[in-house]
Formats: sequence, C-alpha cells, structure tokens
Amino acid sequence: MDQKALKHYEKCWFIRSFEAAIARAAAAGKVPGLVHLSTGSEVADVLLAHHLDWRRDKVTGSHRSHGIALACGTEPLDVAKEILGKKGGLSDGLGGTQHLIATSGETSFLMSNGIVGAQVPLAAGAALSAKSRGSDGIGVAVFGDGAANQGAVFETMNLAVVLKLPMLFVMYNNGMAQSTSVAQATESDFSDRARSFGLNTWKTDSNDYPDCARTLHQGAASARRSEPGFVEVKVTRDHGHYYADGEDFDASPAIENFEKYLLTQGFNSKLLRVAKKSGVQKAAAIVAEAMEAADA
Amino acid sequence: MPNHMPEPTIAEALNAAHHQLMADDESVICFGEDFAQNGGVFGVSNGLLEAFGPARVFDTPISETAFIGMAVGAAITGLKPIVELMFCDFAGVCFDQILNQAAKARFLSNGNLKMPLVIRTTMGAGDGSGAMHSQSLHGLLASIPGLVVVAPSSPADAAGLLKSAVMSDDPVIFMENKTLYGHTGPVEASLPPVPIGEARTLKSGNDITIVAASAMTQAALAAAETLEHKGVSASVIDPRTIKPVDWNTIQSSVQQTGRLLVIDEGAAFGGFADTVIAGMTDRVFSALKAAPKKLTPPDTPVPYAVGAEGTWMPGASDIVNVATQLMEA
Repeated sequence: MDQKALKHYEKCWFIRSFEAAIARAAAAGKVPGLVHLSTGSEVADVLLAHHLDWRRDKVTGSHRSHGIALACGTEPLDVAKEILGKKGGLSDGLGGTQHLIATSGETSFLMSNGIVGAQVPLAAGAALSAKSRGSDGIGVAVFGDGAANQGAVFETMNLAVVLKLPMLFVMYNNGMAQSTSVAQATESDFSDRARSFGLNTWKTDSNDYPDCARTLHQGAASARRSEPGFVEVKVTRDHGHYYADGEDFDASPAIENFEKYLLTQGFNSKLLRVAKKSGVQKAAAIVAEAMEAADA
Repeated sequence: MPNHMPEPTIAEALNAAHHQLMADDESVICFGEDFAQNGGVFGVSNGLLEAFGPARVFDTPISETAFIGMAVGAAITGLKPIVELMFCDFAGVCFDQILNQAAKARFLSNGNLKMPLVIRTTMGAGDGSGAMHSQSLHGLLASIPGLVVVAPSSPADAAGLLKSAVMSDDPVIFMENKTLYGHTGPVEASLPPVPIGEARTLKSGNDITIVAASAMTQAALAAAETLEHKGVSASVIDPRTIKPVDWNTIQSSVQQTGRLLVIDEGAAFGGFADTVIAGMTDRVFSALKAAPKKLTPPDTPVPYAVGAEGTWMPGASDIVNVATQLMEA
C-alpha cells in the first residue's frame, strides 16, 4: 500500500475542513472581506505540492490559494489567522486571504495574488532565481482558466521558453472565470496555446488521482530540465458561494473518486474513515484556535 | 576601473557603476529590451554582457509585464535585479506589476520579504520623441505607497544612487533623464554610494529657494545665474530622491529665504511640485514671505514639433520671470 496516498487523502480532508471552517467564519461575519475558497481543488493541490521541495521550489498562486498554501506546507494556524485578520497571521493581518505570503517555515509556497494572472510573471522570477543559484529548483505558477486569458500569462509563457526557465505553469480549469464560463470566454484549447509558445503540455483530471499524480510529476520534471511545462488540471468548483453547510462539505467528487481509487489499492474503508476524521478534526481545531486569537 | 576617471558622462558613470556592482555581488543581474547585445539604447549597459556573461546579462522580448514581473519575483527570491524599462511611458504597459506587485509585496508580507529591485527607466522631453516617449512620471510613481523614486542629475549622483538603490531592501524606480545622458561631471573612481533621501544644494543663496529635479536643475542653475546679475541670490536644491523627499534640506533653506519656487517637468496637477509646496506650506508657513510658486509644463501631453516642445518645456527665462514675480510679491 502506498502510505503517501493515505497521507494525501488525509490532507485533502484537512484542506476541505479548513475551508469549511473559514466559510462558517465568513458566514458569521468573522472574516474581514470576501473569501475565495479552494474547495474542489484539494486533490490537485496536494499532488502538486507532493512534487515540490520547499528548500528550492517556489509557488505563486491566485486569489484562490488557501488550499495550495496549506498543501505546500505553510503553517496552517498562521494561514488561518491571516485570513481571519488576526495577530500572528502570516503578515499579522496586513495581507489577508488574497495576499498570503509565506516567508518562513518549511513551505514551497511563496505568495498569492489579488490580481488575476499577476502571479505568473512572479513565478518566472522565482524560476530565474533558482536557475541563477543552480539549485535545481523550479518556479511554479498556479492560475485558473480565467487568468489564462490574461496577457501576463501569454507573455510569461513566451519569456519562460526563450529564457529556458525552470518553470511550471499549472492551470486549474474549474470551468468558470468568476461567473463567466470557459465556453463563453475561450474559443481555443488552452494546451494548444501553450504548445504554440513552445511549452511541453499535459492535461489531466484531478478526479483521476494516479493520472494527476503522474502528469504533475512529468510537468515538474520537465520544468526541472529547464523545459517549461504547462499542465491543465481539471478541478471541480463544488459550490459557487462561500457558505458551506454540511451537505456541501461532504459533496466532493474529486475526493470521493480518490477514495474509490484507494479502496482498489488495498486500503479498507475503516482506515480511510480514520484518516478523514483526523484531517477534518485537525483543521477544524486549528481554525477554531485562530478565531480565538486577538484581532490584528 | 582606472584610479583616475576623466569627467564622465552620466551614461558612462552609470555604466561604470553597473560594472562595479556586478563584479562585487553575484546576485546582481541585469536585463531589459535591447539591453545586453546592443548595450542599451543609451549605452548604459555597454560591455556588461562580455564581462559577466549571458546568465547575468540578457535581452528580453518586448513583454514589459512579463519581465518586470519576473524581476519582482527574482528580487523576493534572492536576486538583486536591475531591470531596464526603456521609457517610463512604458510603465503603462506593465503598470500592474509596478503598482500592485513591486509596490505592495513588502507591505503585504509585513516587511518579511525584502525586495532589492531596481527598475531603471528614462524620463524627460526635449529630444522630439513625442508624447509616448517623453513623459516625466516620477510624481505619479512616487504617489504609490511602497515605491522609492530617485532622479539623479549628475554623473556622481547617478552612479552613487544606483549603488544605494541596489543595496536597498525596497523597490527603487531609478529615473534617468534622456537629455542628461551626455552631461559630464566629476566622480570619484570608487563611485561612492549616495544616500537615498538626501537632497544636494547645487547653489546656496539667501533670497529665494528653487527646488528642481532631474534636467530642470540645468535650467534652474542657468536662471539662478541670471538672477544673481539682477541682485537676487537664489538657492538651488536638487532633491535627487523624489520619494522619500528630503524635507529637512528644503525646509532649512526656505526658513532662510522665505520664498519657494519649485520647477518640475512632471505633472501640472497633483504632481511633485504640488507635493513640495504643500509640504513646505504645512511645515514652515510662518517663515514664508510670499505664496510659494511652481513652474511646470502645461497640463497637456508632450508635443512633438521642435517649437511646440520648446514652448511646452519650462526654460531658464521662465524661471527668471516667475522668480522675479515671487521676489516682488
């Protein structure tokens, strides 16, 4: 049995539970502004992070980055406090949910961004730093299908290829750019675009855990060879609003499919229940602790 | 570097400073459009590629958003990039990376991130480049919290401020006036750093304080000479750093003269000149003998034709006229 898969499963539930707790806090008026939840991309977040090394790799993310920040190893209590605007948050509450910046601890997460697509050139900078140091590290930009229509993304794809940067572009396609569907906003295929810039491209679906794992591994390995890669990962946006009730909380096709896969791999359902419960409880406890902290 | 440097131009002093900075610190890297192989449009990067190789000195595609953003990302992950934005007018193309990324990351990290980033760019009219290659946007950029803005007017200040900018943990917008690149002046061969935030008094006088930055220093000095012949002793102060501006130096002079005239090539509305006047009015109102005045170009884009551009730009005679009015007020 692949013990790391069980850890990933627990982490997925950790992230989902964390986001659910944040959603409850938001509904109760305990979050300063709007929050954009990562609910639905947990499997992708965890698998991407799995292929990164916090000592040398750096990830920049979108406004919807709680999940990837946690998956990369950012201290969850500090993340929760930052989102809630509390003292002791990553930036003592100066940044907030859309501007998570990790500067300490064992995390490959660098920062998220309030401007759609703006994080992509920043990851090119992280890639340039890694290349200059000869660290074998990579810069990873995580963005959505909405950002994929930003010029910053196109420009950076070309720049990464001509400069041979160790850079990975990871596009989470959840089918919706805010409230505009991919079909409305985009006529061409995302991978075709990336390929035309000279990137190595892949498509995968976070509902298929082994394929998603394999594909992100290939993407990261390509980037590490200074052949910039582009991976389109299909993720689910499980709900469009930010208040999650118990029903929403449990409805996650990607995690359910992950669970089905694990059952075929020799994990019994009791083991999975224990892992899920552990992830859910840990996250809930952390967010609860953060809520007790002093306001920033 | 030879021990003795004949009076270099600003372009040559900047070039020498780049060579020293890159030789002293391997984390300094330089890039921009037409920067490496071509030596830069104004020759500032001559010889850098040959001396330090293509990993540290390279050309970029015409993609300001991507490469300015890349410089921001590199600066917060261990490098000290000096990135060239060919004209400050092009800030419009990559404004998000300047306004939201470079300017805000340190604040948003509660100061935990360091950003030793220098964005070198050009400013200034007077060479017929027209409305989109001639602007002086130092005031606009200085109005954004988080950015340091410098605008040197001599070879020693240019080289010295570049050194301080590279050593700064804050992002610095380094504004070079196109019309000053050929301007010569004395420098020490070691090109000593010039502190950010310190003005330089170009000429001392007792009757009126003239504040002028970048190329306007030349017009202000010429005007001061004419004024001297008319019996008016003018002090001319080059702020050198637009933000944080050196209030103390300006204030001590205004307290002495009681009269303030600010000459600026930037915006006529909400610009650097307005900021200096407001700051001094707030600080030393009781010392003022007359209402401070400013002289800027009119509130229009920069015109192209020689006559029109010349009329648009404040000149020494304009300065003399306004200074004389101020003396009579």
